[in-house]
Amino acid sequence: MSKIRINIEKVNEKFENFAKFLIAHRALLLVAFVALLAISIVGMKKIYVEASWDSYFIEGDPMLIETDKFKETFGNDYFVGVLVESDHSIISPDNLKLLRELSNELRDSLSYSDGKATSITDLEYMLGTDEGMEITQIVPEEIPTGAAGLAEIEKRLAAKPELAKKLISSDRKQSFINIKLRPFPEDSVWKAEGEAKGVKAEAPDMKTGRETDEIIHKAKYAPLHPRATGMPYLSHQKLKFIGEEMSRIFVITILCAIVVMFLVTRSLRGIVSPLITTFAGVIMTFGLVGYLGLYMDATNIMVPVILAFAVSIAYNIHINSFFRKNMMLTGKRKESVLYAMKETGWSVLFSGLTTIVALLSFLSVMLKPIRSVGILSSIAVAFILLVALTVSPILLSFGKDKKPNAKVLERGDTRMGVILNKVGEFVLTHGKPIAVVFAVITVISIYGVTKMEPAFDVERTMGRKVEYVNKMLYVAESEIGSFYSYDLVIDFGTNDKAKEVENLKKLEQLQEHAQKYPLTKRSTSILDILKDLDRTLNENRQEKYAIPETGEQVAQLLLLYENAGGSEASYWMDYDYKKLRLMVEISSYNSNELQKEIEDLQSFARELFKDAKVTAVGNLPQFTAMQQYLEVGQMTSFLISVVIVAVLLMIVFGSVRTGLIGMIPNIAPGIFVGGYLGLCNIPLDMMTATLIPMIIGLSVDDTIHFINHGHVEFDRNRNYREAILRVFRLAGPALVMTTIIMVATFAGFTTSAATQMFNFGFVVFVGLVSALLADLFVTPLLIKKFKIFGK
Amino acid sequence: MKIAKTAAMLVVALCTMSVAQPSARDIMIKVKDRPDGDTRSSSMEMKLVNKSGNTRVRKITSYAMDVGADTKTIMFFLYPNDVKGTGFLTVNYDDVNKEDDKWLYLPALKKTRRISGKSSKTDYFMGSDFTYDDIGKRNVDEDTHKLVREENANGHDYWVIESTPKKSGEIFSKKLIWIRKDCDVVEKVEFYDKLGKLHRQMVSSDIKKVDGFWTVGKMEMKNVQTGHSTELLFLDPKYNIQLDSKIFTVNKLERGL
Repeated sequence: MSKIRINIEKVNEKFENFAKFLIAHRALLLVAFVALLAISIVGMKKIYVEASWDSYFIEGDPMLIETDKFKETFGNDYFVGVLVESDHSIISPDNLKLLRELSNELRDSLSYSDGKATSITDLEYMLGTDEGMEITQIVPEEIPTGAAGLAEIEKRLAAKPELAKKLISSDRKQSFINIKLRPFPEDSVWKAEGEAKGVKAEAPDMKTGRETDEIIHKAKYAPLHPRATGMPYLSHQKLKFIGEEMSRIFVITILCAIVVMFLVTRSLRGIVSPLITTFAGVIMTFGLVGYLGLYMDATNIMVPVILAFAVSIAYNIHINSFFRKNMMLTGKRKESVLYAMKETGWSVLFSGLTTIVALLSFLSVMLKPIRSVGILSSIAVAFILLVALTVSPILLSFGKDKKPNAKVLERGDTRMGVILNKVGEFVLTHGKPIAVVFAVITVISIYGVTKMEPAFDVERTMGRKVEYVNKMLYVAESEIGSFYSYDLVIDFGTNDKAKEVENLKKLEQLQEHAQKYPLTKRSTSILDILKDLDRTLNENRQEKYAIPETGEQVAQLLLLYENAGGSEASYWMDYDYKKLRLMVEISSYNSNELQKEIEDLQSFARELFKDAKVTAVGNLPQFTAMQQYLEVGQMTSFLISVVIVAVLLMIVFGSVRTGLIGMIPNIAPGIFVGGYLGLCNIPLDMMTATLIPMIIGLSVDDTIHFINHGHVEFDRNRNYREAILRVFRLAGPALVMTTIIMVATFAGFTTSAATQMFNFGFVVFVGLVSALLADLFVTPLLIKKFKIFGK
Repeated sequence: MKIAKTAAMLVVALCTMSVAQPSARDIMIKVKDRPDGDTRSSSMEMKLVNKSGNTRVRKITSYAMDVGADTKTIMFFLYPNDVKGTGFLTVNYDDVNKEDDKWLYLPALKKTRRISGKSSKTDYFMGSDFTYDDIGKRNVDEDTHKLVREENANGHDYWVIESTPKKSGEIFSKKLIWIRKDCDVVEKVEFYDKLGKLHRQMVSSDIKKVDGFWTVGKMEMKNVQTGHSTELLFLDPKYNIQLDSKIFTVNKLERGL
């Protein structure tokens, strides 16, 4: 094993030579650096940020295939919904006039409108009369002003109670507008259109959301207090919120980092150099993302950026602290740069590589946003490494030499080094109690890990403190508004089966069954149309609100419906009458209860329709699938990152044993974080799910620094106690500082009103602090106990 | 002087020629008023095809008679079997203020129902890609017409007219219409959506004279955005046939032809 052991002294010399090369060609290298930045800025303009849940699935995913098939059969299931509200009845001339105006504007101005608005002022419907049928509107073309006219509207609503309760609340103070949307074009289509025009095209859902937002916020509609809902609107609002939040958090991050860096480095250069490195790394990353057209999701777009910031500062602090100490001791600038690179270059490079590897473990998760965090963060860390190891030393090399600092020369160490030396002594003398505390915390955390659960609903991930979420949930929880729904598709596989009376009766049973669930708000199927038509043809007698008696009657009613201009039948029955669709809208989201209800409804449907294929589709089943992927993905990415980091540690330490021992302080923070999430009931989402491998990737840096420096020191004096105390004095301050700075950098997230962002920031704090504590308190004990550098 | 006089005459002649050229609105009125006899009958086969290639076929037979400026039509479904015998009887009044009379007969329910009120003109006709407007006769003055150019293609001369709806709430933002000069028949229409993108495309073919009247044998409408298309085949068209006005009654609707 010792043969393949890396000779750290030699490696360090290589880094010293590399630094010499950098300083010799610094002008040329800086020009190249600026050119690369300029190219990257151009690439950044090509970036598209996704915000729709549809884009979460990897191509070829069974859920995505089912969803696409569903959309192909039943059309775009996305809609724009607007809830309007008044303190007096909506059925008043002024409110009706305004409602019609709003409804018409949405129908006519939304670019992807299907040309149909469903609202009490815009609904054409067939009313059975004594002599036949009248195709009419609930609210006449000319809005009535008198009591008689308004009473007639009430009468028409009363004639179709099933329809009325979808459009207006029982107290008449709320009404709901629903705008059907045309199928959205493929991504390649709208992107190409934008490129052809030389502008950045707007994604169809974003465009729809933006247009809706602009319309409902017009001053003239204010008396109706319109609140919008539907996926396109939600996606748009989410992107808008995250955009604003990202800018805010980024500013806080920069300010926090600057303050902490100033306190730590006490020099302007100590602030400027990491800032340049970070911005350059982030710009290069996004430039590459733009050129390669890589996927980026709005939810966790901030993770790579802030992570880049954190690691960048950490790398710079390592380099800078060695540079600064040597400057104080010798006053010679270029010599100090060479010393800093020699002492830290390899550790920085290697810890960067392990971080990248840990982040790449996200590729094992079957969800695009998580994969994207892995890819983007890895690229960002790679660029940060590149800039930190080239541009930072060059920047440090500019300037004059200084006089050595007499006090440091006298003391031989920085103040922090002295304090950490005492910590080291404490650790070495309290081995047993430390081991016991560590074991207890680990056991509690493992129990917590078993309690971790994923969740995707906006209430748990974003929280009601976020304004748009609060508004959206207000609509979802109102008597008539709607937001979350799922669909059950019954595929008979044979043409015309879907319109057989026997199957329709089973569908009725299924619908009645779904209606009994606590979460079900309402359900819709082809039966709503058929029963309504049957009643219409029978003088509007309520007892005829029933499934027609024969197959011919069903066929002829459907023909009548189509002929009268009805187009909604195709939403509920497919082209060949092979498939039936049942849509269930829910009032509130409770993942466990909902999963139970969906599974129960599916098994009930399978029992009813023995020869048909029953599939659940829509946003909620998508969430369920994503949650399962996340649970599995969380485990696999954890294991992959652990295994790969362990292998890397084995290679760098040249020993399987040292590699495995080195993993203990690295797995621990991952387990602590998992335990914390589980015990505090913080759900796994697109942000928190990225935490554990990230913490492992970051904490391994400290271990590498600790063990590498320990190794060098041990080789110098062959005494474990002395070597460990020297590491505490020499590398310790950098370890503490980097942790403080990283925590400060991520602290910006804790100022967010969005639950997932707050949790992310806070859990990073838990993870990084536990990683530092593990390295300061556990690693030295392991080094000493197992004598990992030999005897 | 002589040259100047000749030039002046030429200018006058050119101006007169441009006056003689019909306006876009005139052309549209000519298309609308193209002669089609006092009575007519035909069978129609409607084939609907969705993006995946699934098809729905319907067969209809219809008879129509002009009574003054009004038109009476009776039509029956022949296929598919579960809707066979379903009939519609309509009286279209020329007077725009007078609502059309419509009756529907559903044999499975043995009921005739009078339909009052009217459905939106932007609705699609029987699940096809044609709107009621496309197959009916949209009032010429509901759109603003502009003669974009004249074209010669496939051995025919065309007027190409761009029509823009005057009201909002239409499903198209503009349409481009190709009209054959020799017979005033619309041969192609392109409908553009509100984003200005091609939405639907209609092509008429098998244009021939039957009993002295220009007749379209096949119309095809494709929604290029959804991939859905509709083919209408007009079989066995006849004009100025002997028709008893008694066939346009509810009684006949219930008994069938």
